Amino acid sequence: MTQSQIDLFNAIKITCGVLATLGLYSVLYKETKFFRFFEHVFLGLAAGYAIVALWKETLYPTWWLKMTGVMNEGVMAEPAYWVYIILLPIGLLGYFVFSKKHNWLSRIPIGIILGLWAGQQVQIWWQTNGPQIYSSMQPVIPTETTSFFKPITTGAGFTPERIAEINAQIWPSQAINNFIFVVTLLAAFTYFVYSIELKTPVLKGFNKLGRWMLMIGFGAIFGSTVMARFALVIDRMYYLWFEWLESIMRVFGR
Amino acid sequence: MTPEKPTFFEKIQNVDKRILYLILIVLTTIPLFPMFSSIVLPNEPAPHSQAFYYQLMSVPEGKTVFIQSDWTLSTRGENAGHIESLLRTVMSKKLKFAIYTVADPQAPGVYRKYIQSVNAERKRAGMKEYKQWEDYVDLSYFPNAEGTLNAIGSDVRKIFNKRVKDPASGKDRLVFESPVLKDVVKVGDVGLYVVITASNSFDRTVERLSDKTKVVVMCTGVIGPSTLPFFQSGQIKGASIGLKGAVDVEYMMKYGLNYPDSTGKIKVPWSGKEELKADPVVEGMTIARGSLYFMSFHAAIALLILAVTVGNIGMFMARRKKA
Repeated sequence: MTQSQIDLFNAIKITCGVLATLGLYSVLYKETKFFRFFEHVFLGLAAGYAIVALWKETLYPTWWLKMTGVMNEGVMAEPAYWVYIILLPIGLLGYFVFSKKHNWLSRIPIGIILGLWAGQQVQIWWQTNGPQIYSSMQPVIPTETTSFFKPITTGAGFTPERIAEINAQIWPSQAINNFIFVVTLLAAFTYFVYSIELKTPVLKGFNKLGRWMLMIGFGAIFGSTVMARFALVIDRMYYLWFEWLESIMRVFGR
Repeated sequence: MTPEKPTFFEKIQNVDKRILYLILIVLTTIPLFPMFSSIVLPNEPAPHSQAFYYQLMSVPEGKTVFIQSDWTLSTRGENAGHIESLLRTVMSKKLKFAIYTVADPQAPGVYRKYIQSVNAERKRAGMKEYKQWEDYVDLSYFPNAEGTLNAIGSDVRKIFNKRVKDPASGKDRLVFESPVLKDVVKVGDVGLYVVITASNSFDRTVERLSDKTKVVVMCTGVIGPSTLPFFQSGQIKGASIGLKGAVDVEYMMKYGLNYPDSTGKIKVPWSGKEELKADPVVEGMTIARGSLYFMSFHAAIALLILAVTVGNIGMFMARRKKA
Protein backbone atom coordinates (compact mmCIF):
# COMPACT_ATOMS: atom_id res chain seq x y z
CA MET A 1 0.00 0.00 0.00
CA THR A 2 1.28 3.46 -0.84
CA GLN A 3 1.33 6.24 1.76
CA SER A 4 -1.53 8.09 0.03
CA GLN A 5 -3.66 4.91 0.12
CA ILE A 6 -2.90 4.48 3.84
CA ASP A 7 -3.86 8.13 4.45
CA LEU A 8 -7.10 7.70 2.49
CA PHE A 9 -8.00 4.52 4.36
CA ASN A 10 -7.24 6.25 7.65
CA ALA A 11 -9.40 9.27 6.72
CA ILE A 12 -12.34 7.00 5.79
CA LYS A 13 -11.95 5.10 9.05
CA ILE A 14 -11.89 8.26 11.17
CA THR A 15 -14.80 9.78 9.20
CA CYS A 16 -16.89 6.69 10.03
CA GLY A 17 -15.95 7.24 13.68
CA VAL A 18 -16.96 10.90 13.44
CA LEU A 19 -20.36 10.02 11.91
CA ALA A 20 -20.94 7.43 14.66
CA THR A 21 -19.96 9.94 17.36
CA LEU A 22 -22.30 12.59 15.94
CA GLY A 23 -25.05 9.99 15.58
CA LEU A 24 -24.79 8.94 19.21
CA TYR A 25 -24.41 12.52 20.48
CA SER A 26 -27.53 13.56 18.53
CA VAL A 27 -29.56 12.13 21.43
CA LEU A 28 -28.55 15.27 23.34
CA TYR A 29 -30.80 17.18 20.96
CA LYS A 30 -33.54 14.54 20.87
CA GLU A 31 -33.97 10.86 20.14
CA THR A 32 -34.15 10.35 16.39
CA LYS A 33 -33.83 7.52 13.86
CA PHE A 34 -30.30 8.78 13.19
CA PHE A 35 -29.40 8.03 16.82
CA ARG A 36 -31.22 4.67 16.78
CA PHE A 37 -29.36 3.60 13.64
CA PHE A 38 -25.95 4.22 15.16
CA GLU A 39 -26.99 2.67 18.44
CA HIS A 40 -27.86 -0.57 16.63
CA VAL A 41 -24.70 -0.43 14.52
CA PHE A 42 -22.66 -0.08 17.72
CA LEU A 43 -24.39 -3.01 19.44
CA GLY A 44 -24.11 -5.22 16.35
CA LEU A 45 -20.44 -4.46 15.85
CA ALA A 46 -19.60 -5.07 19.51
CA ALA A 47 -21.42 -8.42 19.53
CA GLY A 48 -19.93 -9.54 16.21
CA TYR A 49 -16.42 -8.49 17.15
CA ALA A 50 -16.69 -10.28 20.51
CA ILE A 51 -17.63 -13.59 18.85
CA VAL A 52 -14.70 -13.48 16.42
CA ALA A 53 -12.26 -12.29 19.09
CA LEU A 54 -13.42 -15.00 21.49
CA TRP A 55 -12.61 -17.71 18.96
CA LYS A 56 -9.43 -16.18 17.57
CA GLU A 57 -7.87 -14.94 20.79
CA THR A 58 -9.12 -17.51 23.27
CA LEU A 59 -10.87 -20.67 22.16
CA TYR A 60 -8.52 -21.41 19.28
CA PRO A 61 -5.17 -21.06 21.16
CA THR A 62 -6.26 -22.25 24.60
CA TRP A 63 -8.80 -24.95 23.73
CA TRP A 64 -8.62 -26.05 20.08
CA LEU A 65 -4.82 -26.18 19.82
CA LYS A 66 -4.55 -27.94 23.18
CA MET A 67 -7.07 -30.52 21.98
CA THR A 68 -5.61 -31.06 18.51
CA GLY A 69 -1.94 -30.48 19.34
CA VAL A 70 0.56 -28.19 17.60
CA MET A 71 2.63 -29.20 14.61
CA ASN A 72 5.73 -27.14 13.80
CA GLU A 73 7.35 -27.91 10.42
CA GLY A 74 6.04 -31.47 10.45
CA VAL A 75 7.20 -32.09 14.01
CA MET A 76 4.77 -32.50 16.91
CA ALA A 77 5.64 -29.44 19.03
CA GLU A 78 2.85 -30.01 21.55
CA PRO A 79 0.90 -33.24 22.08
CA ALA A 80 -2.86 -33.35 21.62
CA TYR A 81 -5.01 -33.73 24.74
CA TRP A 82 -8.29 -35.11 23.42
CA VAL A 83 -9.76 -34.99 26.91
CA TYR A 84 -10.42 -31.29 26.25
CA ILE A 85 -13.34 -32.40 24.03
CA ILE A 86 -15.39 -33.00 27.21
CA LEU A 87 -15.59 -29.25 27.75
CA LEU A 88 -17.64 -28.74 24.58
CA PRO A 89 -20.77 -30.77 25.55
CA ILE A 90 -20.62 -29.37 29.10
CA GLY A 91 -20.61 -25.84 27.70
CA LEU A 92 -23.34 -26.59 25.16
CA LEU A 93 -25.61 -27.87 27.95
CA GLY A 94 -25.99 -24.18 28.88
CA TYR A 95 -28.12 -23.65 25.76
CA PHE A 96 -30.81 -26.02 27.11
CA VAL A 97 -32.02 -23.01 29.05
CA PHE A 98 -34.13 -22.30 25.95
CA SER A 99 -35.87 -25.71 26.12
CA LYS A 100 -38.92 -26.01 28.37
CA LYS A 101 -38.58 -29.78 28.62
CA HIS A 102 -34.84 -30.11 29.16
CA ASN A 103 -33.86 -26.82 30.75
CA TRP A 104 -32.73 -28.67 33.89
CA LEU A 105 -29.65 -29.69 31.88
CA SER A 106 -28.52 -26.06 31.75
CA ARG A 107 -28.12 -26.16 35.52
CA ILE A 108 -25.12 -28.50 35.20
CA PRO A 109 -22.67 -25.91 33.76
CA ILE A 110 -24.26 -23.21 35.93
CA GLY A 111 -23.74 -25.43 38.99
CA ILE A 112 -20.08 -25.98 38.08
CA ILE A 113 -19.55 -22.22 37.69
CA LEU A 114 -21.35 -21.48 40.97
CA GLY A 115 -19.34 -24.11 42.81
CA LEU A 116 -16.07 -22.73 41.52
CA TRP A 117 -17.17 -19.18 42.34
CA ALA A 118 -18.26 -20.06 45.88
CA GLY A 119 -15.01 -21.88 46.56
CA GLN A 120 -13.00 -18.90 45.38
CA GLN A 121 -15.01 -16.48 47.51
CA VAL A 122 -14.10 -18.35 50.69
CA GLN A 123 -10.46 -18.13 49.70
CA ILE A 124 -10.45 -14.44 48.72
CA TRP A 125 -12.65 -12.92 51.41
CA TRP A 126 -9.86 -12.43 53.88
CA GLN A 127 -7.46 -11.43 51.14
CA THR A 128 -9.78 -8.52 50.24
CA ASN A 129 -11.03 -7.41 53.63
CA GLY A 130 -8.35 -8.53 56.08
CA PRO A 131 -5.74 -5.88 55.24
CA GLN A 132 -8.44 -3.18 55.26
CA ILE A 133 -9.67 -4.19 58.72
CA TYR A 134 -6.08 -4.20 59.94
CA SER A 135 -5.29 -0.79 58.42
CA SER A 136 -8.42 0.70 60.01
CA MET A 137 -6.90 0.26 63.49
CA GLN A 138 -5.17 3.62 63.51
CA PRO A 139 -3.39 5.20 66.48
CA VAL A 140 -5.19 8.27 67.84
CA ILE A 141 -2.69 9.20 70.57
CA PRO A 142 0.39 11.17 69.47
CA THR A 143 3.79 9.70 70.28
CA GLU A 144 5.67 12.95 69.64
CA THR A 145 4.48 16.34 70.92
CA THR A 146 7.44 18.65 70.40
CA SER A 147 5.64 20.09 67.37
CA PHE A 148 1.97 20.03 66.29
CA PHE A 149 2.80 19.29 62.67
CA LYS A 150 5.32 16.79 61.43
CA PRO A 151 8.54 18.71 60.65
CA ILE A 152 9.26 19.31 56.96
CA THR A 153 12.29 17.24 56.09
CA THR A 154 12.70 18.18 52.41
CA GLY A 155 15.97 20.03 51.98
CA ALA A 156 16.41 20.32 55.77
CA GLY A 157 19.70 18.45 55.74
CA PHE A 158 18.52 15.61 57.99
CA THR A 159 20.21 12.24 57.74
CA PRO A 160 18.11 9.39 56.26
CA GLU A 161 17.99 7.81 59.76
CA ARG A 162 16.60 11.01 61.29
CA ILE A 163 14.00 11.31 58.48
CA ALA A 164 12.94 7.69 59.09
CA GLU A 165 12.72 8.44 62.83
CA ILE A 166 10.51 11.51 62.22
CA ASN A 167 8.26 9.57 59.86
CA ALA A 168 7.86 6.73 62.37
CA GLN A 169 6.30 9.04 65.01
CA ILE A 170 2.63 10.00 65.35
CA TRP A 171 2.48 13.78 65.37
CA PRO A 172 -0.58 15.56 66.89
CA SER A 173 -1.90 16.66 63.46
CA GLN A 174 -1.70 13.05 62.23
CA ALA A 175 -3.40 11.82 65.43
CA ILE A 176 -6.31 14.21 64.73
CA ASN A 177 -6.58 12.91 61.16
CA ASN A 178 -6.60 9.34 62.47
CA PHE A 179 -9.24 10.25 65.04
CA ILE A 180 -11.50 11.69 62.31
CA PHE A 181 -10.98 8.50 60.31
CA VAL A 182 -11.87 6.22 63.22
CA VAL A 183 -14.95 8.29 64.19
CA THR A 184 -16.15 8.28 60.56
CA LEU A 185 -15.62 4.52 60.32
CA LEU A 186 -17.56 3.79 63.53
CA ALA A 187 -20.34 6.27 62.68
CA ALA A 188 -20.78 4.71 59.22
CA PHE A 189 -20.95 1.28 60.90
CA THR A 190 -23.70 2.39 63.27
CA TYR A 191 -25.79 3.52 60.31
CA PHE A 192 -26.00 -0.14 59.29
CA VAL A 193 -27.13 -1.37 62.71
CA TYR A 194 -30.68 -2.51 61.97
CA SER A 195 -31.19 -5.31 64.49
CA ILE A 196 -31.39 -3.17 67.64
CA GLU A 197 -33.26 0.06 68.24
CA LEU A 198 -30.99 3.02 68.88
CA LYS A 199 -32.70 4.71 71.84
CA THR A 200 -30.23 7.04 73.50
CA PRO A 201 -29.58 10.53 72.02
CA VAL A 202 -25.85 9.71 71.79
CA LEU A 203 -26.42 6.62 69.66
CA LYS A 204 -29.04 8.40 67.55
CA GLY A 205 -26.67 11.32 66.99
CA PHE A 206 -23.84 8.95 66.09
CA ASN A 207 -26.14 7.19 63.65
CA LYS A 208 -27.03 10.55 62.08
CA LEU A 209 -23.35 11.45 61.83
CA GLY A 210 -22.81 8.15 59.99
CA ARG A 211 -25.54 9.08 57.53
CA TRP A 212 -23.93 12.48 56.90
CA MET A 213 -20.53 10.93 56.38
CA LEU A 214 -21.96 8.46 53.89
CA MET A 215 -23.67 11.31 52.03
CA ILE A 216 -20.39 13.24 51.85
CA GLY A 217 -18.70 10.08 50.57
CA PHE A 218 -21.36 9.56 47.90
CA GLY A 219 -21.03 13.22 46.89
CA ALA A 220 -17.27 12.81 46.43
CA ILE A 221 -17.78 9.64 44.39
CA PHE A 222 -20.38 11.39 42.22
CA GLY A 223 -18.00 14.32 41.70
CA SER A 224 -15.29 11.93 40.56
CA THR A 225 -17.75 10.29 38.15
CA VAL A 226 -18.76 13.66 36.66
CA MET A 227 -15.10 14.56 36.14
CA ALA A 228 -14.57 11.23 34.38
CA ARG A 229 -17.43 12.02 31.99
CA PHE A 230 -15.93 15.43 31.24
CA ALA A 231 -12.65 13.75 30.29
CA LEU A 232 -14.55 11.57 27.82
CA VAL A 233 -16.30 14.57 26.25
CA ILE A 234 -12.99 16.41 25.87
CA ASP A 235 -11.46 13.38 24.16
CA ARG A 236 -14.39 13.20 21.72
CA MET A 237 -13.95 16.89 20.92
CA TYR A 238 -10.29 16.23 20.21
CA TYR A 239 -11.26 13.35 17.93
CA LEU A 240 -13.90 15.41 16.09
CA TRP A 241 -11.96 18.62 15.65
CA PHE A 242 -8.35 17.56 15.42
CA GLU A 243 -7.81 13.89 14.56
CA TRP A 244 -10.48 13.99 11.87
CA LEU A 245 -9.37 17.28 10.28
CA GLU A 246 -5.75 16.14 10.40
CA SER A 247 -6.62 12.91 8.57
CA ILE A 248 -8.57 14.84 5.91
CA MET A 249 -5.75 17.35 5.41
CA ARG A 250 -3.28 14.48 4.98
CA VAL A 251 -5.36 13.12 2.11
CA PHE A 252 -5.22 16.49 0.40
CA GLY A 253 -1.47 16.64 0.97
CA ARG A 254 -1.30 19.44 3.54
CA MET B 1 -56.42 34.03 31.73
CA THR B 2 -52.88 34.39 30.33
CA PRO B 3 -50.13 32.36 32.04
CA GLU B 4 -47.83 34.35 34.29
CA LYS B 5 -44.58 35.34 32.60
CA PRO B 6 -41.57 33.61 34.20
CA THR B 7 -39.30 35.94 36.13
CA PHE B 8 -35.56 36.31 35.43
CA PHE B 9 -34.72 34.03 38.37
CA GLU B 10 -37.10 31.34 37.14
CA LYS B 11 -35.60 31.61 33.67
CA ILE B 12 -32.04 31.06 34.86
CA GLN B 13 -33.14 27.89 36.62
CA ASN B 14 -34.45 26.50 33.36
CA VAL B 15 -31.75 27.26 30.81
CA ASP B 16 -32.24 25.00 27.77
CA LYS B 17 -29.88 22.04 28.20
CA ARG B 18 -28.91 22.30 24.51
CA ILE B 19 -27.46 25.75 25.17
CA LEU B 20 -25.43 24.30 28.04
CA TYR B 21 -24.17 21.49 25.79
CA LEU B 22 -23.18 24.05 23.16
CA ILE B 23 -21.26 26.13 25.72
CA LEU B 24 -19.59 22.92 26.95
CA ILE B 25 -18.49 22.01 23.42
CA VAL B 26 -17.05 25.47 22.82
CA LEU B 27 -15.33 25.64 26.22
CA THR B 28 -13.76 22.20 25.91
CA THR B 29 -12.64 22.67 22.31
CA ILE B 30 -10.92 26.07 22.47
CA PRO B 31 -8.16 25.01 24.95
CA LEU B 32 -7.23 22.13 22.62
CA PHE B 33 -6.02 24.52 19.91
CA PRO B 34 -2.22 24.68 19.50
CA MET B 35 -1.87 28.19 20.99
CA PHE B 36 -3.26 26.89 24.32
CA SER B 37 -2.17 23.27 24.21
CA SER B 38 1.49 24.14 24.83
CA ILE B 39 0.62 25.72 28.20
CA VAL B 40 1.49 23.38 31.10
CA LEU B 41 -0.76 24.16 34.04
CA PRO B 42 0.81 24.02 37.51
CA ASN B 43 0.01 20.74 39.19
CA GLU B 44 0.47 19.04 42.52
CA PRO B 45 0.46 15.26 42.04
CA ALA B 46 -1.72 13.33 44.47
CA PRO B 47 0.03 11.00 46.99
CA HIS B 48 -1.33 7.87 45.30
CA SER B 49 -0.02 9.10 41.91
CA GLN B 50 3.36 9.79 43.49
CA ALA B 51 3.45 6.28 44.93
CA PHE B 52 2.52 4.90 41.49
CA TYR B 53 5.34 6.75 39.76
CA TYR B 54 7.85 5.79 42.44
CA GLN B 55 6.97 2.10 42.10
CA LEU B 56 7.25 2.25 38.32
CA MET B 57 10.59 4.03 38.37
CA SER B 58 11.93 1.63 41.02
CA VAL B 59 11.74 -1.41 38.73
CA PRO B 60 15.31 -2.33 37.75
CA GLU B 61 16.26 -1.98 34.08
CA GLY B 62 15.67 -5.11 32.01
CA LYS B 63 13.10 -6.52 34.42
CA THR B 64 9.66 -7.62 33.20
CA VAL B 65 6.39 -5.94 34.17
CA PHE B 66 2.93 -7.38 33.61
CA ILE B 67 0.34 -5.01 32.13
CA GLN B 68 -3.30 -6.03 32.46
CA SER B 69 -5.03 -3.65 30.04
CA ASP B 70 -8.78 -3.97 30.64
CA TRP B 71 -10.19 -0.97 28.81
CA THR B 72 -11.60 -0.12 25.40
CA LEU B 73 -12.15 3.06 23.40
CA SER B 74 -15.23 4.09 25.38
CA THR B 75 -12.89 5.41 28.11
CA ARG B 76 -10.15 6.68 25.79
CA GLY B 77 -10.34 10.16 27.37
CA GLU B 78 -8.75 8.84 30.55
CA ASN B 79 -7.16 5.47 29.82
CA ALA B 80 -5.34 6.54 26.64
CA GLY B 81 -3.34 9.05 28.68
CA HIS B 82 -2.61 6.27 31.16
CA ILE B 83 -1.35 3.67 28.69
CA GLU B 84 0.67 6.17 26.67
CA SER B 85 2.51 7.52 29.72
CA LEU B 86 3.03 3.98 31.02
CA LEU B 87 4.44 2.68 27.73
CA ARG B 88 6.69 5.73 27.31
CA THR B 89 8.09 5.23 30.82
CA VAL B 90 8.50 1.47 30.43
CA MET B 91 10.25 1.87 27.06
CA SER B 92 12.43 4.71 28.31
CA LYS B 93 13.53 2.57 31.29
CA LYS B 94 14.17 -0.39 28.93
CA LEU B 95 11.81 -2.64 30.86
CA LYS B 96 10.29 -5.69 29.20
CA PHE B 97 6.57 -6.25 29.42
CA ALA B 98 3.86 -8.85 28.91
CA ILE B 99 0.48 -7.35 28.07
CA TYR B 100 -2.97 -8.97 28.11
CA THR B 101 -6.56 -8.47 29.19
CA VAL B 102 -8.94 -10.43 31.38
CA ALA B 103 -11.96 -8.19 30.80
CA ASP B 104 -12.92 -7.51 27.19
CA PRO B 105 -12.20 -9.18 23.84
CA GLN B 106 -11.96 -5.71 22.27
CA ALA B 107 -9.16 -4.62 24.61
CA PRO B 108 -6.22 -6.30 22.74
CA GLY B 109 -7.06 -4.34 19.58
CA VAL B 110 -6.96 -1.14 21.59
CA TYR B 111 -3.66 -1.70 23.44
CA ARG B 112 -1.99 -2.89 20.21
CA LYS B 113 -2.89 0.44 18.62
CA TYR B 114 -1.13 2.31 21.43
CA ILE B 115 1.97 0.09 21.39
CA GLN B 116 2.14 0.80 17.66
CA SER B 117 1.70 4.58 18.07
CA VAL B 118 4.26 4.92 20.89
CA ASN B 119 6.67 2.81 18.83
CA ALA B 120 6.08 5.08 15.80
CA GLU B 121 6.75 8.09 18.00
CA ARG B 122 10.05 6.53 19.14
CA LYS B 123 11.01 5.72 15.56
CA ARG B 124 10.41 9.34 14.51
CA ALA B 125 12.60 10.52 17.40
CA GLY B 126 15.38 8.09 16.39
CA MET B 127 14.94 5.84 19.45
CA LYS B 128 14.88 2.04 19.56
CA GLU B 129 11.52 0.49 18.66
CA TYR B 130 10.06 -2.18 20.95
CA LYS B 131 9.79 -5.58 19.28
CA GLN B 132 7.44 -8.44 20.02
CA TRP B 133 9.28 -11.45 21.51
CA GLU B 134 12.50 -9.55 22.21
CA ASP B 135 11.06 -6.66 24.29
CA TYR B 136 7.43 -7.49 24.90
CA VAL B 137 4.89 -10.26 24.42
CA ASP B 138 1.26 -9.76 23.56
CA LEU B 139 -0.75 -12.49 25.31
CA SER B 140 -4.13 -11.21 24.14
CA TYR B 141 -7.43 -12.02 25.83
CA PHE B 142 -8.22 -14.40 28.68
CA PRO B 143 -11.93 -14.83 29.49
CA ASN B 144 -13.18 -15.36 33.04
CA ALA B 145 -11.19 -12.80 35.04
CA GLU B 146 -11.62 -14.67 38.33
CA GLY B 147 -10.34 -18.00 37.01
CA THR B 148 -7.53 -16.44 35.00
CA LEU B 149 -6.25 -14.30 37.86
CA ASN B 150 -6.43 -17.25 40.24
CA ALA B 151 -4.36 -19.24 37.78
CA ILE B 152 -1.84 -16.39 37.35
CA GLY B 153 -1.41 -16.45 41.13
CA SER B 154 -0.98 -20.20 41.39
CA ASP B 155 0.85 -21.16 38.17
CA VAL B 156 1.65 -18.37 35.73
CA ARG B 157 3.46 -20.73 33.36
CA LYS B 158 0.37 -22.84 32.89
CA ILE B 159 -2.08 -20.01 32.16
CA PHE B 160 0.24 -18.09 29.82
CA ASN B 161 1.00 -21.25 27.87
CA LYS B 162 0.60 -19.51 24.50
CA ARG B 163 2.71 -19.24 21.38
CA VAL B 164 3.88 -16.13 19.60
CA LYS B 165 6.05 -15.68 16.53
CA ASP B 166 9.78 -15.44 17.14
CA PRO B 167 10.94 -13.06 14.37
CA ALA B 168 14.47 -14.58 14.34
CA SER B 169 13.33 -18.11 13.46
CA GLY B 170 9.93 -17.19 12.01
CA LYS B 171 8.40 -20.00 14.11
CA ASP B 172 5.63 -19.89 16.69
CA ARG B 173 7.33 -20.52 20.02
CA LEU B 174 6.12 -20.80 23.61
CA VAL B 175 6.11 -17.35 25.25
CA PHE B 176 8.14 -18.60 28.20
CA GLU B 177 11.07 -19.20 25.84
CA SER B 178 11.10 -15.46 25.02
CA PRO B 179 13.60 -13.08 26.67
CA VAL B 180 10.59 -11.34 28.24
CA LEU B 181 9.26 -14.28 30.24
CA LYS B 182 12.16 -16.74 30.46
CA ASP B 183 12.98 -15.70 34.05
CA VAL B 184 9.38 -15.52 35.24
CA VAL B 185 8.46 -18.68 37.12
CA LYS B 186 5.83 -17.16 39.41
CA VAL B 187 3.95 -13.86 39.36
CA GLY B 188 6.13 -12.59 42.22
CA ASP B 189 9.11 -12.60 39.84
CA VAL B 190 7.80 -9.60 37.87
CA GLY B 191 8.97 -6.11 38.72
CA LEU B 192 5.48 -4.66 38.86
CA TYR B 193 1.91 -5.65 38.01
CA VAL B 194 0.07 -2.73 36.39
CA VAL B 195 -3.71 -2.81 35.88
CA ILE B 196 -5.17 -0.28 33.44
CA THR B 197 -8.90 -0.50 33.77
CA ALA B 198 -12.29 1.12 33.37
CA SER B 199 -14.14 -1.54 35.33
CA ASN B 200 -14.02 -3.51 38.55
CA SER B 201 -11.71 -6.11 36.98
CA PHE B 202 -9.18 -4.39 39.20
CA ASP B 203 -10.96 -5.67 42.34
CA ARG B 204 -10.54 -9.23 41.06
CA THR B 205 -6.80 -8.60 40.67
CA VAL B 206 -6.39 -7.21 44.18
CA GLU B 207 -8.36 -10.10 45.66
CA ARG B 208 -6.17 -12.71 44.01
CA LEU B 209 -2.73 -11.22 43.46
CA SER B 210 -2.07 -8.39 45.91
CA ASP B 211 -0.30 -10.74 48.37
CA LYS B 212 1.83 -12.30 45.63
CA THR B 213 3.21 -9.31 43.75
CA LYS B 214 3.31 -5.49 43.77
CA VAL B 215 0.06 -4.27 42.19
CA VAL B 216 -0.52 -0.70 40.97
CA VAL B 217 -3.51 0.65 39.08
CA MET B 218 -4.38 3.23 36.41
CA CYS B 219 -8.13 3.63 36.37
CA THR B 220 -10.98 5.92 35.41
CA GLY B 221 -12.44 8.52 37.77
CA VAL B 222 -15.63 6.44 38.04
CA ILE B 223 -13.96 3.58 39.86
CA GLY B 224 -11.15 5.70 41.35
CA PRO B 225 -12.77 6.23 44.77
CA SER B 226 -13.15 2.47 45.27
CA THR B 227 -9.41 1.95 44.74
CA LEU B 228 -8.36 4.32 47.52
CA PRO B 229 -9.18 2.00 50.47
CA PHE B 230 -6.89 -0.57 48.81
CA PHE B 231 -4.13 2.04 48.61
CA GLN B 232 -4.59 3.07 52.23
CA SER B 233 -4.38 -0.57 53.36
CA GLY B 234 -1.28 -1.21 51.25
CA GLN B 235 -2.97 -3.81 49.03
CA ILE B 236 -2.02 -1.69 46.04
CA LYS B 237 1.19 0.27 45.99
CA GLY B 238 0.02 3.23 43.90
CA ALA B 239 -2.84 4.54 41.78
CA SER B 240 -3.19 6.92 38.86
CA ILE B 241 -6.85 7.92 38.87
CA GLY B 242 -8.71 9.54 36.01
CA LEU B 243 -7.45 12.36 33.83
CA LYS B 244 -5.79 14.01 36.84
CA GLY B 245 -3.85 10.78 37.40
CA ALA B 246 -2.61 10.84 33.80
CA VAL B 247 -1.56 14.48 34.21
CA ASP B 248 0.20 13.63 37.49
CA VAL B 249 2.24 10.86 35.87
CA GLU B 250 3.17 13.05 32.88
CA TYR B 251 4.18 15.85 35.25
CA MET B 252 6.45 13.52 37.24
CA MET B 253 7.85 12.06 34.01
CA LYS B 254 9.01 15.61 33.24
CA TYR B 255 10.09 16.79 36.70
CA GLY B 256 10.76 13.57 38.65
CA LEU B 257 9.73 12.95 42.24
CA ASN B 258 11.74 14.48 45.09
CA TYR B 259 14.15 15.23 42.30
CA PRO B 260 16.16 18.47 42.49
CA ASP B 261 16.54 20.47 39.26
CA SER B 262 19.74 22.27 38.22
CA THR B 263 19.05 25.03 40.79
CA GLY B 264 18.48 22.46 43.56
CA LYS B 265 14.75 23.14 43.70
CA ILE B 266 12.41 20.17 44.03
CA LYS B 267 9.40 20.67 41.75
CA VAL B 268 7.44 17.64 43.01
CA PRO B 269 8.13 16.97 46.70
CA TRP B 270 6.68 13.80 48.24
CA SER B 271 5.43 14.74 51.66
CA GLY B 272 6.34 12.18 54.31
CA LYS B 273 8.58 10.23 51.94
CA GLU B 274 11.42 12.67 51.54
CA GLU B 275 14.00 9.89 51.59
CA LEU B 276 12.61 8.32 48.41
CA LYS B 277 13.39 9.67 44.96
CA ALA B 278 12.37 8.96 41.35
CA ASP B 279 14.15 10.43 38.34
CA PRO B 280 12.36 12.08 35.43
CA VAL B 281 11.99 10.10 32.21
CA VAL B 282 15.14 10.62 30.16
CA GLU B 283 13.95 10.03 26.60
CA GLY B 284 10.81 10.49 24.54
CA MET B 285 7.71 12.54 25.25
CA THR B 286 6.65 13.37 28.80
CA ILE B 287 3.96 16.06 28.75
CA ALA B 288 1.35 14.73 26.32
CA ARG B 289 -2.32 13.79 26.06
CA GLY B 290 -3.27 14.14 29.74
CA SER B 291 -1.82 17.64 30.01
CA LEU B 292 -3.34 18.61 26.63
CA TYR B 293 -6.82 17.87 27.99
CA PHE B 294 -6.19 19.45 31.40
CA MET B 295 -7.13 23.03 30.52
CA SER B 296 -10.36 21.91 28.82
CA PHE B 297 -11.03 19.89 31.95
CA HIS B 298 -10.74 23.01 34.10
CA ALA B 299 -13.03 24.94 31.73
CA ALA B 300 -15.66 22.18 31.94
CA ILE B 301 -15.52 22.10 35.74
CA ALA B 302 -15.77 25.91 35.86
CA LEU B 303 -18.91 25.70 33.70
CA LEU B 304 -20.38 23.06 36.00
CA ILE B 305 -19.71 25.13 39.13
CA LEU B 306 -21.14 28.23 37.44
CA ALA B 307 -24.29 26.42 36.28
CA VAL B 308 -24.91 24.92 39.74
CA THR B 309 -24.31 28.28 41.44
CA VAL B 310 -26.51 30.26 39.04
CA GLY B 311 -29.30 27.66 39.29
CA ASN B 312 -29.20 27.73 43.09
CA ILE B 313 -29.15 31.54 43.27
CA GLY B 314 -32.12 31.59 40.88
CA MET B 315 -34.02 29.10 43.04
CA PHE B 316 -33.21 30.99 46.25
CA MET B 317 -34.22 34.38 44.80
CA ALA B 318 -37.39 33.04 43.13
CA ARG B 319 -38.54 31.46 46.42
CA ARG B 320 -37.75 34.64 48.32
CA LYS B 321 -39.73 36.71 45.83
CA LYS B 322 -42.73 34.38 46.08
CA ALA B 323 -42.59 34.46 49.88
